[in-house]
Amino acid sequence: MAFINYSSREIQLKIVYYGAALCGKTTNLVTLHKQITHAQKGELVSLATDADRTLFFDFLSLNTKTLPGFTTRFQLYTVPGQAIYNTTRQLVLKGVDGIVFVVDSHWEKMADNVESFANLQENLIENHLSLVQIPYVLQYNKRDIPNAAPINYLEFTFNNRANRALAFEGVASTGVGVLETLNAAARLLLAKYSKTPNANVTGMAQTNKSVAVPPPEEKPQVQAGNVA
Amino acid sequence: MLTAEDQMAIEQRLADFLAKSEAQWSALVDKGGNLFAQCGDTGTLDLSILSALAAGSFAATHELAKRLGESEFSALYHEGHGQHILMSALHHECLLVTIFGEKTNIGLVRFYAQQVTITLNELLQQAREKEAISGPLLLDGDFLNDQAAIT
Repeated sequence: MAFINYSSREIQLKIVYYGAALCGKTTNLVTLHKQITHAQKGELVSLATDADRTLFFDFLSLNTKTLPGFTTRFQLYTVPGQAIYNTTRQLVLKGVDGIVFVVDSHWEKMADNVESFANLQENLIENHLSLVQIPYVLQYNKRDIPNAAPINYLEFTFNNRANRALAFEGVASTGVGVLETLNAAARLLLAKYSKTPNANVTGMAQTNKSVAVPPPEEKPQVQAGNVA
Repeated sequence: MLTAEDQMAIEQRLADFLAKSEAQWSALVDKGGNLFAQCGDTGTLDLSILSALAAGSFAATHELAKRLGESEFSALYHEGHGQHILMSALHHECLLVTIFGEKTNIGLVRFYAQQVTITLNELLQQAREKEAISGPLLLDGDFLNDQAAIT
């Protein structure tokens, strides 16, 4: 839950990167740590195994002056993607303010992605939360691979809800879509502090570099079940 | 939510606790890893990281307690060669994290930690009650545009 300190004029917000094993959650944070030059950033901490698999979480703290009169401290966490670490994922979700769900675009990872999305919803319930309350964005990662699942399939599978979430194509290893994803999540969280509603929150402002996925014109004819 | 008065009151209790226990640093952290208030000296340590790791460590211990049939381990102690950490559970999903060195000992730190947790719990309760009746924080300005993006 967001923490507001009126004494130090600071707002702390927790964003958790969630997704299946090896979908690119840690890579997102590593790339952000390299890419971010203007915001004040802390050290990237990884609690990982010897084989560089996330064991507990990765953590990166960013301080920005986005909100007038306040320092905004974004605390970015990843969860371990491997199925056996479900308790750890529940722990990392404690106090979450926003979620980035990273989808691996490999066809053969679709079942893992779907399972992870369902697992996210179960673990939010464990924390007395739900995706209705917690703002989230989707990142379709690894768009550079040859056998990437089509975007309309991913949209139908993961974003087929009454309120469509913001979705971004990304290649976390090269930085494509990484900052855009974070900024979309950040805006969703900051919007509740704005006196004036802003269209950017529901429809990300398009820039030349933007890789936001536009809303589909019509639902694709896909036979596989979705998780929405 | 902490007002300036809440913050000052908590920091005052932490300062008293440090003076009595001769510990080096103490902080009020929530179980989500947010640092609420702190007092003392940790040199160049990144306090965000310290808070995140402390919360993670305590969360893992809490889970262990549950699996052993305990409702919670009320305190967690890590012993090092020169520096040690004591984490004590507070109400309202908070923790008291204390770092101390060779100037003092775990018995003394724990004794005063148990005392200060009572007053900290009262302050947290008051802050929670104030939060429940206060309006949401709403700010002027267009901080959701591209110029305000994290870069």
